[in-house]
Amino acid sequence: MTNVVRSLAVLLLSTCLPTASIAAAPPTGSRSSAQDDGQWSMPAKDYAATRYSALTQITRTNARSLHPVWTFSTGVLGGHEGQPLVVDNTMYVVTPWPNVLYAFDLGKEGYPLRWKYRPAVSPNAIGIACCDSVNRGAFYSEGRIFYNLLDGHTVAVDAKSGRELWKTEVADNAAGETVTMAPLVVKDRVIVGASGGEFGIYGWLKALDAASGKIVWTARNIGPDAGMLIHPDTFKPPYAQGADQGAASWANDAWKTGGAPVWGWLSYDPELDLVYYGTGNPSPYNSEQRVGDNKWSNSVLARRPADGALIWAYQFTPHDNWDYDSTGAMVLAEVKVEGRAVKALVHFDKNGFQYALDRATGKLLNATPFVPVNWATSVDLHSGKPVLDPTRQTGASKGNVHNICPSLEGGVSPASPPAYSPHLGWFFTSTNNFCMDYAATRATYLKGTPYMSVNSPYIAGPGGHLGALVAWDAGAGKKVWQIDEPFPSWSGVLATAGDVVFYGTLDGWFKSVDATTGKVLSKFKVGSGVVGNPITFRGADGKQYVAVFAGVGGDWALLSGDMRSDDPADVRVPLEMMKQIARHTSQGGMVWMFGL
Amino acid sequence: MSATPNWAIRLATCCVLVTSCARHDAAPTAAASAPPGIQYEAHVQAGGRPSTGAELNNPLHGNPAAARDGAALFVAMNCDGCHGGDGSGWVGPSLADGRWRYGGADAEVFSSIYFGRPKGMPAFGGTVGTTGIWSIVTYLQSLAPPANVATESFED
Repeated sequence: MTNVVRSLAVLLLSTCLPTASIAAAPPTGSRSSAQDDGQWSMPAKDYAATRYSALTQITRTNARSLHPVWTFSTGVLGGHEGQPLVVDNTMYVVTPWPNVLYAFDLGKEGYPLRWKYRPAVSPNAIGIACCDSVNRGAFYSEGRIFYNLLDGHTVAVDAKSGRELWKTEVADNAAGETVTMAPLVVKDRVIVGASGGEFGIYGWLKALDAASGKIVWTARNIGPDAGMLIHPDTFKPPYAQGADQGAASWANDAWKTGGAPVWGWLSYDPELDLVYYGTGNPSPYNSEQRVGDNKWSNSVLARRPADGALIWAYQFTPHDNWDYDSTGAMVLAEVKVEGRAVKALVHFDKNGFQYALDRATGKLLNATPFVPVNWATSVDLHSGKPVLDPTRQTGASKGNVHNICPSLEGGVSPASPPAYSPHLGWFFTSTNNFCMDYAATRATYLKGTPYMSVNSPYIAGPGGHLGALVAWDAGAGKKVWQIDEPFPSWSGVLATAGDVVFYGTLDGWFKSVDATTGKVLSKFKVGSGVVGNPITFRGADGKQYVAVFAGVGGDWALLSGDMRSDDPADVRVPLEMMKQIARHTSQGGMVWMFGL
Repeated sequence: MSATPNWAIRLATCCVLVTSCARHDAAPTAAASAPPGIQYEAHVQAGGRPSTGAELNNPLHGNPAAARDGAALFVAMNCDGCHGGDGSGWVGPSLADGRWRYGGADAEVFSSIYFGRPKGMPAFGGTVGTTGIWSIVTYLQSLAPPANVATESFED
C-alpha cells in the first residue's frame, strides 16, 4: 500500500466514519459482539452474504499476536475453495472431489473427528469440471448439513451422526454439468445450481425439499419464459421488457446450449422474500454463434424461494464476448448513494465494474470500475447498459483482439467473495490485475465436451502487481486502500467488528489486516496457496478463532502449470508471467485455525 | 487458457524427431510368444485370459499430413478444451511432455482416445473413428517434449 493511499484512508476515516456507521445497518439490524452467536452456519455467515462477524476479541491492536493453534490435513489435493462451518462446537469441512465431509469436535483436545462422511462420487466428474475439482462449501440448517458433490448430486447429512439422510441427482454429467457451488437453504428449500458454462449446458437453478431431497422446482436461467418460471404478472425487470427475452435474445435458438451456469454464491433478503444469484457466461466463447444479448447469462436474478418465480433480472454484460461470468457474490447492504441510504445489492463483477442495485427492483444505482477496464467506458445508469469500446469486441471474424482489460479470469474471481463491514461501511475484495488477447474461433458442440474455442493469453496489468486486496466504498464507488500482491488474489475475505480483515494469498500467506488503514498486522505461511475463504467463530473456551483452508487450486494452479507434484505423467512448462509461484506453493489441502 | 504456439513449428520439429528417434514398439523379444492381446478397461476376458490378436501399431506414424489432420481434430473435437492448446495441459494432463499416464505406445494412446479413461476422458471411438484417432495419435507423437522435463530451477 502506498503512503498516498494510506493518508487518503485516514482522511476518509476522520471525515466519513460517523455517517458511514449510521448508514450501514445490515438488513438484519445492527449487531454487537454479544448478539453474534459465534457460529458460522452458512457459507457467507449470513443471508446477506456479508462475511462479517460481530466478534470483537481479535482487534487491530492484538491481531499481531495471532498464531496457529491447530491444523488438519484433508488428504485431498484439489483446490480448497469454500470455507468451514462451525455450529455447536463442531467444525464441518467439505473437501474438493471426492467431497469428503469431516466433522471435528471442537470441545476436545486436538479437535478429533466426530465422524467423516465419504460419499460415492464418480471420478469422471473431474474431467467434466472445467477448472479443477473444487467445492465451495456446505450449509447448516436444523441439524443437517447440505452440500453438493462434483458429480451432480446434492446430499443431506445428519449433523450429529454423519448419517446420510438423502442424496438426489440434480445435474447431468453427460451433458457437461457438474456442481461446485454451496447450496443456500431458505425455509424448507435447498437451492442449488450447476457449473458448465464451458460445456454448453442449459443453465438452471433447482430447489429441493430439505426433508426429502425431492426436486420442487427447476428454473432455467436462459430460454423461453415457461422454463425460466417467468409469469407476466410478477416478472418486473427494471429495463428490458417483453416476453421470452431469454429465448428472443439468442439467434438460432442458441440458448439451448447457451451455458449460464450457477457456480457462485446465493443470498436472500427475508423482508422481500427474494433469493439472489448470478449467472455465468454464455456458451460458446465465440459470441458470433449466439448473436443477441443472450439473456439472462451474466446477470443477477431475483426469485421467490417458494415457487422459483423470477421477479426481476438485470444483465451486467449483454452479449458477453470476454467470459465475464457474473457468478460472484450478491452482497445485501445498505449503502449511501448520493446522500441517500438505499437497500442495495452490491456486486463486484468479473467485467471489472462494481455495481450497486436497488435490491427490490433491480434498478441500477451505480457502476464503477474497481480495476483497469477497457471493454466498456462506463455503464449508462439510464438504460442499465454498458457503453462499449468497439475496438475491444471479439468474435471469430475479428481474429485476435488485443489488450482487453480485465482478462477472462476477471477483475475478481467469483470464487473469491468479498466481505462487507457494516461498521465501516466498506467492502473488501480480492482482485486480479490482468488484461488479455482474445482470439475466438468457431466452436463445435459435442455433448459433454468443452464448448469454448478461444485462445486468450494474458498480459500483466499496469502497476507491477498481479493481484491485490482492495477496500472499497460501494456507495461512492471509491477505493479506500489497497494492498498489492505479487500474484493474483484468489481468496475470499472475512471482516470483523474488531476492524480486522483476513485473507490469504496464492503464494500461501494468511494475513490479518487493519481494516481502517490496510496495514498488515500479522501473516503466516500456511504451506499451500489460499483460494478459500476465512471464517471466525467463538470456540468452546469462549475465545475467538479464525479458520481458513490452505490448498491451492482452481484456474491459477492449472494455468501456472507447475504447482502439482503428484502426477509424474503430467509435467508442464511454467507460465511465463508467474514463473516464481511454484517456488512458494504446491498442492495440499489443510485446515488451519488461528487464535490469540 | 494459455497461449498456443504455431503448430507448424512443432510439426517441423517432429519430422526431425520421427527420423532420428528409434521407436520402442518393435517388440524385439516377443517373437517366440503369442501376439499380445488388446486390452481395455471394460473388456470382459473369457476365462480371465486376454484374447490373442495382432499388436496395434499406428499406420500413420510420422505422416506429416496425418499430424496436420490430427492437430485440426484435436481442436475440432474439443480436446484442447481440457488438454490445453497444443496439448500443453489444463484440467486434463499435458500431452506434450513425453510422459503418459496410461502409456505412450501407439496402442495405449489409441486406447485412451477410443475407449476413454477414468477421471473424465470421454470415449471418442464412436465419434472420431479409427483413422481420425490415428491422426490424433500421430499429432500427439509429433509434439516435442521440452528439453528438461524433470527439473525446474527457480534460481537465476
